Amino acid sequence: MSETHIQIENVNAYYGRTHSLKNISVQIPKKQITAIIGPSGCGKSTLLKCMNRLIDLTDGVTYSGKILIDNEDIFDRKTDIVDIRKKMGLLAQRPIPLPMSIYENIAYGPKIHGLKKKPDLDAIVEKYLKLVGLWEEVKDRLNSPASQLSLGQQQRLCLARGLAVEPEIILCDEPTSALDPVSSQYIEQQLLKLKNDYTIVIVTHNIHQAMRLADYVIHLYLGEVVEHGLSNDVFENPKEERTRAYINGTFSTELKIDSESDLKGQLCPFNFVYAKQALHNLEDGKILKLIVDDPIAVTEVPRGMEADGHKVLIVKQINKTDWEIVIQK
Amino acid sequence: MELRRIEESIFKVLMVLSLMIVVGSLLAVIGVILWKGLPVLNIDMLTKTAQGGYYLGKGGGILNAIIGSLYLAIGGTALAFLLSIGVAFYLQKEYSGGTRLSSITRLSLDILWGTPSIVYGAFGFTVLMYFHMRASLLAGIIVLALLELPIMTRTMEEVIKTVPQELKEVSYSLGATRLETTLRVVAKQALPGLMTGVLIAFGRGIGDAASILFTAGYTDRIPTSLFDATASLPLAIFFQLGTPLPQVQQKAYASAVILLLIILAISITTRLLSRKYTKYIIK
Ligand SMILES: Nc1ncnc2c1ncn2[C@@H]1O[C@H](COP(=O)(O)OP(=O)(O)O)[C@@H](O)[C@H]1O
Ligand SMILES: [Mg+2]
Repeated sequence: MSETHIQIENVNAYYGRTHSLKNISVQIPKKQITAIIGPSGCGKSTLLKCMNRLIDLTDGVTYSGKILIDNEDIFDRKTDIVDIRKKMGLLAQRPIPLPMSIYENIAYGPKIHGLKKKPDLDAIVEKYLKLVGLWEEVKDRLNSPASQLSLGQQQRLCLARGLAVEPEIILCDEPTSALDPVSSQYIEQQLLKLKNDYTIVIVTHNIHQAMRLADYVIHLYLGEVVEHGLSNDVFENPKEERTRAYINGTFSTELKIDSESDLKGQLCPFNFVYAKQALHNLEDGKILKLIVDDPIAVTEVPRGMEADGHKVLIVKQINKTDWEIVIQK
Repeated sequence: MELRRIEESIFKVLMVLSLMIVVGSLLAVIGVILWKGLPVLNIDMLTKTAQGGYYLGKGGGILNAIIGSLYLAIGGTALAFLLSIGVAFYLQKEYSGGTRLSSITRLSLDILWGTPSIVYGAFGFTVLMYFHMRASLLAGIIVLALLELPIMTRTMEEVIKTVPQELKEVSYSLGATRLETTLRVVAKQALPGLMTGVLIAFGRGIGDAASILFTAGYTDRIPTSLFDATASLPLAIFFQLGTPLPQVQQKAYASAVILLLIILAISITTRLLSRKYTKYIIK
């Protein structure tokens, strides 16, 4: 493995009393793409938000441990967090332009970091819009609102905006999940190009995307690191059963479901009880699929079923409100 | 089945009825005022100050009240704005952290909001008496600012609260400080809403009579300093209607038309301006 850029040591994070990251220790290599994979709610975004301490903005969060970037502990209260964040660009789940013109979106970062001269700003705007392949599309309407661009264009604008503060690291949280396939592909190509100069961390629940992009993979499950290592090793030869199940589970939609139970509208603890009952009626090794829409169930049902000795194969958000949980008895 | 259809139609009738009452009353108010006011409205009303005493003045116009009202309302709104914007941002949880002080502030504002404006007037009057001062433009502006403060602050607070968290995260992730994020991103996203808040408060300020009755006073001259007594349109209407002279009473309706037009003009301008900035808003 190449040089380490971000060293994560014993990181724990809690939302109130929910223990969302459990003793995470991993290294993120420099100038490579690291993918954090795992089902919804396993703590991927939380881990990412720890890296730039955006987690500070959430109410009731506590965290501990160390995250070293260039040997500086960003969890240390003495570290200047504004400086740290400048080193990192962020690409969010859905494109979020700032409420200003296309030009101002790119110029915002450099401006707050002290760049004032118009020709310098012009040059930066042009450079980064070109870098993400947006220049030709927008050069005649730099002053129109960024909100008028298409979603794909907005996400590229957001990428350019992050790059314009000259970071060393790019953090992406499911950056293509709101985009159409063509735009997604475009963003992926950009990231592959950018890894020559930047350390990239991408959160994704799309295994295919992780395979296409990642050099290094971290598999999170219910707040724990299940497995981490070089992408080839993890994908072709996972050491952990749960990683294999996750990769296979998301791969084969033809996973044989023996029984299905729709628990929508059921709240905790009833969905829990029904899930147990459904499993009870199955033979060992058979597979049960649950559909739930209670957010508590999404984390608690898999946790409880694991505690009972069943194997959770998939926890996946299937639409805005519903999750699919697949459990093997 | 039949019963449910009947229910449906009863509700529909009720809704249409309420709608008609709402729109109807609005049209009735405007109609009566225009019908009585327009015939009396002439260029002299707009360009001359009251002549022959403001209670009984048959001659001249109400320029003193128009200018006075604009001074009072613009001054009061500007002062209220300076205070409100700070409080509205402070009440956000990033700043106050949802402390006790912030909930006490919110409660006080809500009580002030419900306080009748005559109480503000009486309060202002007491303070003036205490300092042996006379009614003045400045005192009127201060009382109007107090009157407008709760409306403006609470509307602005709600508007700022709706700015998406993700948007702030973007700004922070680019290395912005809290202040930079607030001034350059949050304020910009909230701008159309903030303008609406100002407009609503302005409307309340320019239309209020009771609070300035004792604090701004009334006069037939245009004020030349902050310490002069100042006329206003609502009080012009009040005094003119109160006279026994039909000619003067008629003028009250012309004053009302002018007040209506000012509010309409401000509304439309704000709408247009806010539409210009709404384009930039991120949904
Ligand atoms: N703001 C929050 N308040 C309370 N709990 C949260 C919050 N954000 C996330 N969580 C919880 O923390 C866990 C991890 O969430 P997250 O990091 O968003 O997962 P992922 O990005 O992998 O889908 C989940 O159980 C979720 O319910
Ligand atoms: Mg997430």
